[in-house]
Amino acid sequence: MALTLPPEFSTPLSWPDQPGNGLRTSQGITRVLRIMLALALALWFLLPLVPLVLWAFADRWSFPAVLPQAWGWEGARAALAQGAIPAFGHSLLLGLLVSAIATPLGVLAARALAYHRVLFAPAVNVMLFAPLALPAFVAALGLNVLLLRLHVPPFAGVVLLLTVYALPYTSYVMRVAYGAHDLAVEEEARLLGASPWQVMWRVQLPLLAPALARAAFLAFLVGWSDYVITVLVGGGTIVTVPLLVAGAAAGTGNDATVALLSAAALLPPLVLLLGVGLLGRRPSGKPTAKSMNGNLP
Amino acid sequence: MRRFGTGLTRRAPHSTRRRRFSTLMAGVGAALLALSACSAPAPAQQDFASWDQVVADAQGQTVRLWMYGGEEQGNAYVDKTLIPAAARLGVTLQRVPVADTKDALNRVLTEVQAGTRDGTVDLVWVNGDNFGTGQQAGAWSCGWTDLLPNMGLTNPADPLLANDFGTPVDGCEAPWHKAQFTIAYNSATVTDPPHTLAGLLDWAQEHPGRFTYPAPPDFTGSVFTREVLNSVSGGYQNVPLQYDQKAFDRLTPALYSRLKELAPALWRQGKTYPKTSAELNALYAGGQVDFTMTYGPAELTKLVADGTYPAATQVLTLTEGTVGNASFLAMPATSGHQAGAMVVANLALSPEQQAAKADSRVWGQFTVLDTAKLDPAQRALFAKLPQSPVVPSYEVLSQNASPELSAAWVPALDDAWRRLVLTGR
Repeated sequence: MALTLPPEFSTPLSWPDQPGNGLRTSQGITRVLRIMLALALALWFLLPLVPLVLWAFADRWSFPAVLPQAWGWEGARAALAQGAIPAFGHSLLLGLLVSAIATPLGVLAARALAYHRVLFAPAVNVMLFAPLALPAFVAALGLNVLLLRLHVPPFAGVVLLLTVYALPYTSYVMRVAYGAHDLAVEEEARLLGASPWQVMWRVQLPLLAPALARAAFLAFLVGWSDYVITVLVGGGTIVTVPLLVAGAAAGTGNDATVALLSAAALLPPLVLLLGVGLLGRRPSGKPTAKSMNGNLP
Repeated sequence: MRRFGTGLTRRAPHSTRRRRFSTLMAGVGAALLALSACSAPAPAQQDFASWDQVVADAQGQTVRLWMYGGEEQGNAYVDKTLIPAAARLGVTLQRVPVADTKDALNRVLTEVQAGTRDGTVDLVWVNGDNFGTGQQAGAWSCGWTDLLPNMGLTNPADPLLANDFGTPVDGCEAPWHKAQFTIAYNSATVTDPPHTLAGLLDWAQEHPGRFTYPAPPDFTGSVFTREVLNSVSGGYQNVPLQYDQKAFDRLTPALYSRLKELAPALWRQGKTYPKTSAELNALYAGGQVDFTMTYGPAELTKLVADGTYPAATQVLTLTEGTVGNASFLAMPATSGHQAGAMVVANLALSPEQQAAKADSRVWGQFTVLDTAKLDPAQRALFAKLPQSPVVPSYEVLSQNASPELSAAWVPALDDAWRRLVLTGR
């Protein structure tokens, strides 16, 4: 919880972003430095995108020209000709499926580890993180033999393996969220007569929404950006954007196509990130001074 | 971490449930062990009595062709020309783009290990060590190319089609096109082009910083070192095709001393090399070096036309010739659509498809067909192809062509290059 509890009841409560809270207000040189740091960070993130966008619409750009000599849609034409639209559809489907499976699993694992007695909890923790240490290539080569023998359909195999690779992210994010989650709030709702479902939908879910959105976003990225597992386990039955990008990037003279596909591939995660940012706000809006002071004697 | 021992969260330990769970886990574990321990059954080799039977079986099959996706023209040729033609024969052809042919091979190897008979890789555009590795692992279906009617239009005595980098082809892959190692230069800056490889190395020393080659084990850089080996050995006839240590010890000191001598005159004084042929191509496209090299001269025409390469780009024809190879369509033994794959391989060999593919505006890949075996109408298809302004005809390019050394030479040469040339300065 972002709320800092005052030492005694007589001290009036104040929210960090309320005017007059000295903790968050920087002045003079500190303020200038803070703004400059923020600008530098923004530049740091945006700068690499500039050549990407320039390349995407450059029909000709050869050394040592600073800017492209010819602008056009050659990159877009080539990307469309190579099946960019179905590939985006497949990638979106894969990302959403992985997210839809790995997020609830991460929630269950994190909740169990946070609140329940779990046998060999440290070992379970290590297991949950293990996929991060195992190169995807090794896992795909080894496990695909097993998946083939079990006659798991290629697409199901891809979703299954990518879900495992997304689990460390979702369970970690949710673990942190449950660590900061105050169960007393849920108990209070129960005491006030809420059913377990109501507690889940009206209390737990809104409180955990920002973390859930973050976890789902990370899981989406795992499905969205994978190459190795999609190729080896998918067996060519599903051609995603990373396959197109990697294939085109391996050749010469495809810079515009690669740049356009990469820049376009940034858009869906960016849209989702904005969504996460919106969800990440306090669900109930800013509390008023009245509601905060209402229960004071 | 806070823990709350309230009724809301506390759980009685479910000993029965846990026991059931551990039994289940043990069962799953045993099943997994059994599954991975059982030896893979030998992949089925489908036998067809006649070509008609192949064509009949192929109807309605979906064939996945896995190929390196870095050649835009190659992708476009398959999508716009080969796929519609296959559809007219009743076969649905799908192209799977990969960054590296090894990805396709790895998929096939897992299928072989699993004993799959309905694999999702039906054809692979392959040659060289990828073919050799697959052959060692029993990944390819063999002896099927004799059935293809269009194989009759190739020359069975053609050494490029009989051996793939020293590995006998044995009917395990159908030829698709030929390639010739080609060095290209910017004739606007190189006014005195050399005509031998030795002359090229001398030119590089006289013009410091204007030449380099990709670092082996990059495919193209590796070919370049083999070209230099042929040159310093006094011609490819003096280098045995099959690898043996004695020949290596006798021939390679001259190779590496020449390359070490050359290094300070290379781009960035030879302190660093382009890691891939794509990086060398980018240096050439940017005018930072005056030469580039490729095993796929087909792409030169398009790269010059679209302005990636300087307009004055020309192919350097060497009097002693360069190394040539062929690339193939291999059919994995695990393919579940072998009849369809054979129909596509035969279609790809047809004079119409070979001629369409040889057009430099389409892809510019050299044909594997023997023109002597074509009828006049088929020969006319090739005769009316436009001449590329950059790339000379295959007859000119492949003059005095040398065959590829066996695959065993490659890692030995690459490794010694790294030890003696890259780090030995």
